[in-house]
Amino acid sequence: MEENTLDVREENEEDSNSESYSSESDVETEVTNRQLQDAFADGLLQPGLNFIDKPVKECANDVGSMKDILQEFTQNIDWIERLDVTCGPVHPPGMTEEEKNEEFDVEDYFKRELRFYRQAQAAALEALPKLNKMDVQTRRPEDYFAEMAKSDVQMKKIREKLLKRQMSLDKSEKAKKLREMRKFGKKVQQEVLHARQKEKTEMTRRVKNISKGKMQETGEELKKQQEKGKRRNQDPKGKNPNNPLTKKVNKKREYKNSKFGFGGKTRRMKFNDKDSHGAEEDGFDARRNQQSFSKQRMKKGGFKKGKGGGFKKGQGTAAGGIKKPGMKKGRPGKNKRKTMKSRRK
Amino acid sequence: MGKRKAIEQIVKRQKRLRNTERVESKTEKSGDKEKWTNKQRVLIFASRGVSFLARHLASDLRTLMPHARADSKLDKAKGFFEINEICEMRNCNKCIFFEARKRDMYLWTSNTPHGPSAKFLIENIHTLAELKMTGNCLRGSRPILSFDPEFDNLPHYQILKELFTQMFGTPKLHPRSQPFIDHVFTFSIADDRIWFRNYQIIEEDGSLTEIGPRFVLNPIKIFRGSFGGPMLYENPKYVSPNQYRAQLKKNAGLRFKNKVESQMGHQVRKMKDTYNIDPLDEIFTTIKPEDAKGQEKLTYYRRKRSHPKDTGEKIAAAL
Repeated sequence: MEENTLDVREENEEDSNSESYSSESDVETEVTNRQLQDAFADGLLQPGLNFIDKPVKECANDVGSMKDILQEFTQNIDWIERLDVTCGPVHPPGMTEEEKNEEFDVEDYFKRELRFYRQAQAAALEALPKLNKMDVQTRRPEDYFAEMAKSDVQMKKIREKLLKRQMSLDKSEKAKKLREMRKFGKKVQQEVLHARQKEKTEMTRRVKNISKGKMQETGEELKKQQEKGKRRNQDPKGKNPNNPLTKKVNKKREYKNSKFGFGGKTRRMKFNDKDSHGAEEDGFDARRNQQSFSKQRMKKGGFKKGKGGGFKKGQGTAAGGIKKPGMKKGRPGKNKRKTMKSRRK
Repeated sequence: MGKRKAIEQIVKRQKRLRNTERVESKTEKSGDKEKWTNKQRVLIFASRGVSFLARHLASDLRTLMPHARADSKLDKAKGFFEINEICEMRNCNKCIFFEARKRDMYLWTSNTPHGPSAKFLIENIHTLAELKMTGNCLRGSRPILSFDPEFDNLPHYQILKELFTQMFGTPKLHPRSQPFIDHVFTFSIADDRIWFRNYQIIEEDGSLTEIGPRFVLNPIKIFRGSFGGPMLYENPKYVSPNQYRAQLKKNAGLRFKNKVESQMGHQVRKMKDTYNIDPLDEIFTTIKPEDAKGQEKLTYYRRKRSHPKDTGEKIAAAL
C-alpha cells in the first residue's frame, strides 16, 4: 500500500479546485484504480470527491536545542534589573466569563487596541506596587525637568491638533443646535399666528351673527367690541397717520392756516360774493358804466400822459366808458365817495 | 522680589536634600556606591535602500533606549557575517538590523557573539512623530516590559521573550538613563504575529496614553547563531510577501483562464445540426403562392414580354 505517495483528503476546500483539474492526468498515472479500491476497502478513502494535497512543507522546530539555548543565554539577574511582567489583559468588572475567553478578531481595530491597552494596564498595576515596595521612584516630581522623548515643538503640535478637533466638534454641535432651535421657533411662531387668525375670524363671525340677530348678545361680545374700538383709537405713539383721531395737532400751524390759508375750513371763505364785495355801497353799476372807454376818459378830464397808459380799475371794462341814461353827472370822486360811505355807516 | 528669591532657595534646598537622600539610600544598600552591572549595548542600524519609515523607526528606538548605538548604513553585498564584526568593534552585545528587499522590510534581532538570532517581517510601522499618539516620556527612562501569557507556552516564543527582555529593557543605573519609570512596552501575540506598543503611565491607578512607535513583527526564522548557523525554528504560517503577491496575480489571471476554457468547451460541445434531416426530402415540397416568402416568391413571378427592360434590350440588340 503506497500510503506515502497517496495524500488524499475530503473535498471541503474550493481553492485547489483548478489545480486538481489540470493535474487530473497526472493522478491517473500515479495511482491506479486497484490501489484506490484497496484504500477504500481499508477505510482511508471516503465517498465523495477526493483531491491530492500538496506535500506539506517540513518546518524546523527543534524544541530540544531551543530549550538548551534558552538555558544558555538567559541572564539570572534580579527582577528589578529586568522589569518584565507576563500577564493577560485586565478585565472590566462587567465582563462575563464567556467574553473573557472570546477569541478576538485582529481586524477589529478598536477591540484589538483596547486589548493591548488592558494588557499594559495589567502590567503597570502589577509592577508599580512592587517597585514602590522596593523604594524605587516611579512618579516624576513636579520640578524635575529633563529631556523628553518627544520635543516641546512636537507636543505643541499635538496639543494644537487636539484643540482644533475639539473646536470643530463644538462648532458643529452649536450649528446643529441652532438649526434645531430655528425650526422649533418657526413652528411656535406659526402656531401663534394661526391662533390669532382663528380668534379674529371667530370674533367677526360672532359679531355678525349678533348684529343679524342670529345669536344672543352676551356681555362678552360687547366688551370685546369696545376693546377693539379702544384698541383702534389707542395709538399711543401716534404712528398711524391715517387715523384722524390719533394725529398730533400743531396749534400754531392750525391758527396760521385758518388766517392765511385758502383750503380746509377756509375753502370758500376768502372769495368774494355778491354780499361781501359791497357793490351797492361803492356805487358801481354795470349798466351805468357801459360808455366807451375813451368817452369816460374825456369826461374825467383829458388824456393824462404821465400815467403810462394804464387805465384805472373800474374804468377798464367795456361797460366803464358808456354813460348811463339815469346818471346826471359823472361819477363822484374818491374822497366824495369815502365821505358818503362813512356818513352812511 | 525678596519672597520669590526665598522660595527659589527653598526649592533648591529641597532638591539638594532629595538628591543626597537618594545617594544615601544607595550607599545604605550595598555599602559603597552601586554600579551599573547589567552591561547591555544594542547596535541599531539599517541597510541601504531602506525606506524613510524604517529610518525614522530606527532613530525613534535609539531615542527611547539610552543603551543603543547608531552606525552607518550597511552595504548588503558584504553579507551578514560582517555585522558580527561591526558589533564587536563597537563593543555591542545586541543588534537590531533593518533590511530592505523590494518593497518589504525585514528586522533582524540578534545576541551578537554566539547567541540566537531571529528574522522578522516588519509591518504597520507608525513612528513617534505621529500626531495621534499624544503621550510623552522621559528620554532614557526605564520601561516596564509587558508580555502576553502566550509567550510562556511555546519554546520559540520563550526564546523571543528572553531576547526582547535583554534588548529592550534599559539596564539599571545606566549613565544615560533617568531614574523614574514612566512607560510600558507591550508585546502581544495576535494572529501569529507580535504586536509592539509603547504607553505612558499617567497615574498610579493605571491610566495610560500611547506614546508610540508601533509596529508588527511576523516571525520568519530563528537561528542558533548570530545572523546564521543552524535553523532552530521556521514559522509554517509565514507567507513571504513575494508569494503573497504572486498568489494575488494568479487569482486575477485565473478568472481570464476560466473564461477562455469555458469558451473552448462551448465550441467543442456545440452541435452543427440540431436534427438529422435528409436533404432529398425537400425536392417535392410545394409552397402555395400566398405562403411564399422572399426567394420563393420569384418562382411565381414571370416577366411579361412587353416589359420596358426587355424592349430596351431588344432595341440595343437590333442596333
